[in-house]
Amino acid sequence: MRNVIVAGTGAAPFTKEAADLQRIAVDAGLAALTDAGIGFGEVQAAYVGYIRAPVMTGPRVMKEFGLTGIPVQHIENASATGAAAFREAWAAVAGGHVDVAMALAFDSLSERAGSPANGRRGMGRNSLEGAILPAAFFAMWAQRRMHDYGTTADTLATIAAKNWNHARFCPWAQRRADHAVTAKEVLDSFMVAEPHTAMMSCGVGSGAAAAIVVSEDYAKRLDHSRPQIKVLASAMQSERYTEGHVFLGPVIGPSRMTADTAKEAYEKAGVGPSDLDLVQVHDAFPIEELVYYELLGICGDGAGDDLVARGDTAIGGRIPFSTDGGLIARGHPGGPTGLAQIHETVVQLRGEAGPRQVADATIGLCHIVGAGSVCIIHILAR
Amino acid sequence: MPYVPIEKRLFRIDGDTPVLLGSRCARCRETFFPRRRLCAVCFEPVEDVDLCGRGTLYSYTYVHVPFFGQTRIDAGGYGVGQIDLPERVRVQAVLVGEPGAWRIGMPMTIALEVVDERGEDDVAIFRFAPEEA
Repeated sequence: MRNVIVAGTGAAPFTKEAADLQRIAVDAGLAALTDAGIGFGEVQAAYVGYIRAPVMTGPRVMKEFGLTGIPVQHIENASATGAAAFREAWAAVAGGHVDVAMALAFDSLSERAGSPANGRRGMGRNSLEGAILPAAFFAMWAQRRMHDYGTTADTLATIAAKNWNHARFCPWAQRRADHAVTAKEVLDSFMVAEPHTAMMSCGVGSGAAAAIVVSEDYAKRLDHSRPQIKVLASAMQSERYTEGHVFLGPVIGPSRMTADTAKEAYEKAGVGPSDLDLVQVHDAFPIEELVYYELLGICGDGAGDDLVARGDTAIGGRIPFSTDGGLIARGHPGGPTGLAQIHETVVQLRGEAGPRQVADATIGLCHIVGAGSVCIIHILAR
Repeated sequence: MPYVPIEKRLFRIDGDTPVLLGSRCARCRETFFPRRRLCAVCFEPVEDVDLCGRGTLYSYTYVHVPFFGQTRIDAGGYGVGQIDLPERVRVQAVLVGEPGAWRIGMPMTIALEVVDERGEDDVAIFRFAPEEA
């Protein structure tokens, strides 16, 4: 397998409002190409991710860049869609099939949520599969955690407030507060599903993000004035059967999947959790970020609450998480979320993150799950 | 009036009691809900089995905003929970009761609720309710 370099990344602003998918997708793709310093003619394969868009939207969007005959493949894996597109681009280069591949993802969940024609998710209490929404599933995870470990709603609010405050300094984030957000403010926002309030729930909207990956040889032709970002590991797993496994419902999956995928990623990368400088996770709700501290091996089982109390996972702390605001505040349009994590990590590892820069960031990890059924982890390094 | 299950593949109705339809592996005895063709552990064919309608509450929440991506809060909320059955099966379901009615570890029992009275039949769904003391 060949070494793979992330030559460029880009994102269109994540917004609450519905966006013109074609426009923001091209914006993100052009930003990544410009960042890499290459033209579209150099791209030899494209992997296009989105959850809800008409048939063949991927190839249609790609025509906006140019008609060069390259293979264009649509990828869908729920929340993990963008990470899956990145992984396919990585695999194409690592496997020696191409030297330059583009991963591009976009979505507009605001359209989908607002319009019954697009299929409203959640069918209410008179349905068996539609009654358990993501908010409810993760809330039950939180309730059980509170029961077993004494975790408080204040800890969950502190994590959410941290992510809101990280997003204040991320130019493409969806939720950019004009003031420092407090845990009290998060707790006082309206209740969605106990203990999760609106400000603890991921921002749903529109967005697009892209990455260009290249072989090590090809990277020699590119600008050498900026740090080169390597993909140390790409790992993906699906669920393994566990006792009490839930099969019925839209958001399922054992937490063990994250620990298993992390173990594979660490082994492939030859690094451990103590080597990481920053981490992006699937923080659709703060309970997730809290549990992932432990499942990713950042701290021991049950010690996540102490990490939050010490501010270890805020920028300036020992191991910052969700440095662009995460799903909670940068936003979670679906498809592009995983690629936005890659974009943020690349910007941080290059030292180009401005006021939200993690000092001396050398190694970053991106974690995401898709519908609780797949987990994808990438480890990138300067 | 006869009851008709809202999803026949998930449960049937005996009199006025919903019965969850599961599968059990003949070899390793692992039990699953809903029904499946092969054992998830040893990949052998499974046999049909009825699941116990009683269990303990593993976790729960109250959903105030029932529709994904919407901020309307006047639609009416409901409780949802995960119930561990004696067959080591965890079922997710809407809960009977109001906020404050549930606690982790409490015994729960399955209940029938009519959701649609249409013509000859009453379309019914299963929920779980705290067991009467």
